[in-house]
Amino acid sequence: MGELHLVVTIAGRRAAIPGAQVQSVVELERIVPVPQAPPHIAGLAALRSRALTVVDARAALGLNPALWETEGRAAVTMVDGHAYAILVDTVEDVTEITGEPTPAGASLGPAWDTVAQGLVETPVGPAVLVDIAQLVCGSSTCLASGVQHNAA
Amino acid sequence: MDELLAEFVAETREMLAAIEGELVAWEADPADRPRLDAIFRFVHTVKGNCGFFDFPRLEQLSHAAESALAEVRAGHREPGAQLVNAVLAVIDRIGELVAAIEAGDAMPTTSDDRLIAALEPDSASDFCPVDTIANTDSERRPAGLVSAARSIRLPVNLLDRLMSGVSDMVLARNDLARRLREAGQDPALDGPFERLSAILEDVRDGVTRMRMQRIEQLYSSLPRLVRDLSAELGRQVMLDLQGGDVELDRELIEIVRDPLTHIIRNAIDHGIERPADRLAAGKREIGLLTVSARQAGNKILLAISDDGRGLDLARICARAVAHGMGSAGEIEALPHDRKLALIFEPGLSTAEQVSAVSGRGVGMDVVRANLEKVGGTIRVESEPGSGTLFVLELPLTLSIIAGLTVECLGQRYAIPRSFIEEIARGQSAAIEVETLGETSFVTFRGHRVPVLALAKALGQADARPTRQHVYVFIRSAPGDLFALVVDRVLDNEDLVVKPLAPAIMAAGIYAGTTLLDDGHPILMLDLPGLAAKHRLTNPLKAPRQTETETAPTPTASEADRIILITDLAGRRRAVRMAAVKRIEAIDMGAVNREGRIWRASLNGAILPVAGLDHDPPAASHLTVLRLTDGTREILLAVDSVDDSAALAGRPVPLPDDPLLEGTALVDGAIVAVIDCHALFSRHCAGAALAAPRTCRLPDGDDWTEAFLRPLLEAAGYTVAAPGSDQPVDCAFVTDGGEPAVDTAAQLIRLRTTPEAADPEDCSIYRYDRQALLTALGRIAGGR
Repeated sequence: MGELHLVVTIAGRRAAIPGAQVQSVVELERIVPVPQAPPHIAGLAALRSRALTVVDARAALGLNPALWETEGRAAVTMVDGHAYAILVDTVEDVTEITGEPTPAGASLGPAWDTVAQGLVETPVGPAVLVDIAQLVCGSSTCLASGVQHNAA
Repeated sequence: MDELLAEFVAETREMLAAIEGELVAWEADPADRPRLDAIFRFVHTVKGNCGFFDFPRLEQLSHAAESALAEVRAGHREPGAQLVNAVLAVIDRIGELVAAIEAGDAMPTTSDDRLIAALEPDSASDFCPVDTIANTDSERRPAGLVSAARSIRLPVNLLDRLMSGVSDMVLARNDLARRLREAGQDPALDGPFERLSAILEDVRDGVTRMRMQRIEQLYSSLPRLVRDLSAELGRQVMLDLQGGDVELDRELIEIVRDPLTHIIRNAIDHGIERPADRLAAGKREIGLLTVSARQAGNKILLAISDDGRGLDLARICARAVAHGMGSAGEIEALPHDRKLALIFEPGLSTAEQVSAVSGRGVGMDVVRANLEKVGGTIRVESEPGSGTLFVLELPLTLSIIAGLTVECLGQRYAIPRSFIEEIARGQSAAIEVETLGETSFVTFRGHRVPVLALAKALGQADARPTRQHVYVFIRSAPGDLFALVVDRVLDNEDLVVKPLAPAIMAAGIYAGTTLLDDGHPILMLDLPGLAAKHRLTNPLKAPRQTETETAPTPTASEADRIILITDLAGRRRAVRMAAVKRIEAIDMGAVNREGRIWRASLNGAILPVAGLDHDPPAASHLTVLRLTDGTREILLAVDSVDDSAALAGRPVPLPDDPLLEGTALVDGAIVAVIDCHALFSRHCAGAALAAPRTCRLPDGDDWTEAFLRPLLEAAGYTVAAPGSDQPVDCAFVTDGGEPAVDTAAQLIRLRTTPEAADPEDCSIYRYDRQALLTALGRIAGGR
């Protein structure tokens, strides 16, 4: 039937990440901050003998991470040969999606539009299908909003 | 069999195995250009490698095959079946010879002349390769059995897996250690755990070393190569090797070895002119060839420069046109750097004469292909008449770096140690900080350098540097020095640097990341990047170029070599090699103190001894450096002579101590360099008496003859012959006598009784040695 997807919440909204792109889900114990990096880069974390670049999914959407709690779990993924940990609010489930992704049909808002690949149906409800590569790049608005956060 | 030779044999065998398939395919279709190129590269590489060793037969064979194939490549000759057979026979013979070398046997006595003759276009002889293989097989097989596997070649990804596995084990061990500590001490577990830890450290050390080599290993063969080549080609070449401590992945070293050799050969053969031509061109007759390795950000830069005639751009373009790479107009329209880059195209050569030393331009296309395979690049710059520079850029990904970890606002960062000149604490009295405009400067050892607070560079705080901070002096580029201010300096660590995600690299201040032993990631700073971002350049730049140009002779390089010693107070010191005549051990019995001055007799000469400010050692012998300034000699007493080294850059002056020229960095340690001028000026004041001073003694006085004369002569006086009336510096008279001839500038009266009979008497008691020496000293001063 459908492919396995990792269902997570990002900034309070349900999202799905294609399971094939997720190597594992880890609990991030300690994140070493990277000064002067873009705001969606939360820092570096170690996974066994590898260093992961931690991407805060909330900030990658251009949103203020302080507004949502996170339980500190992250999806480990490879993009262009670099290992990333995508920090999300919560990890809900690993599940098969029903049917094909469908276009959203309407704008999901400036934060989500750049990373959304469509909508998928999961057993726990509909979710936004997230493009990991886009998420890792950070949203085009995140730089501007990051500056706002710093200023605030 | 030494390592180099084993390497050569292994490499040749490997290439032979790889080329076997190509040979068969080429035989089927002699017009197959890629196959032809592959075979050509094989013989070319064998020929090149032979240059290291004395294998004239291999060199002749490969040179002959290379020449024949080059003609085919250039289109001057059709590859017929006869040529194919001859080449195959040559390659078989090469295999045969290599097998003999490997087994340590005598070379097969078969003559190569027939093989070489068969390569000639008009040769009558034709080789059937089947015959030769059949002949040689019986010789080769046993040889293969004899050679026990002393070394093996492993695919590098296997090493990678092993290395990452060991790294994981270390982290798991650390985790286990933490849990064991938390669970409380259990002696039954502690012992085995300690052993496990020790073994793991050993294994990790081994695995790490499997991959890493200092680039020195690559350098070690170069002096010989350059010497042989320059002798053969009638050139005079001075080789300058820099950055030998840069560590490179073993694989990278192997990849760089051939390109480096090729470039050096080309530089000596085609770049550096004959001494007479150089003099005519207004250059020093000795050419300078510099090879320097440097880590820059996440790359290793290997630069090879010569001060020869440079690349002949017009000729390169003409060759490119002749080779059909484009029309004359198209080639002419290329920008300057693209024209230079034409030398990396296959088959292009500008050499007027093909020599056995460097090929015909084939090297450079092989060089580029090999480098690009590992993600490296090569570029060339050239100035007609003034030289050529090749820059090889290699990825850092595989390298281990010696790093220093520092702390700034509670977070750790790594700095590659190769950039660090010196570290000073803010509390040090030698540190002075001033703020000029918006930038702080620190004055240290007489240099004012700009200060960059790491916290500020990281955008975390705008703190001014204080006395609590530590100043790490960073040389980001030759001549560019700045002081990086950090909170604390933590430790030296060996770091396996991994690339960073593009989003982090974009910040422009990090070169990579690495995991520390405790498993935490740490960022490595990109120091040139930081310096560039904050526009830190130092007006006190010392342009290195002019330094090398003003160096008149090779002895200038000797002046930059130093001997490392431990002085009698146990301090490490350095003495410039140029001042050292030789090292001697002298008997303590030959060492005497005269006043504050120590002297020693050595081979009939009496020389002042420096470095004996303290009590002489109890040993029966004293080790001394015999220093000379060309006319005078002094001895420098040392505890031990430790090493010799090259002096990198000028010593940083130390105004506090007049006897020290300054401090220099030798192998990462700070060593004070003894100021030879100060040493001679201090200790030769006594020796200055040596030649010109003369004195006259009373005639026929046994005491002065037996007692006084030796003392005077030891102090450097010549005693005038009895009865002569030559002018002298001083004359001695005893007990109220008068000199026979009054030509002395000074008169010293001696008396035989300790107390003077008359208070007005200014004579000296003849055993008052101190007063005697003082009187002599006064004469020396008065003159």
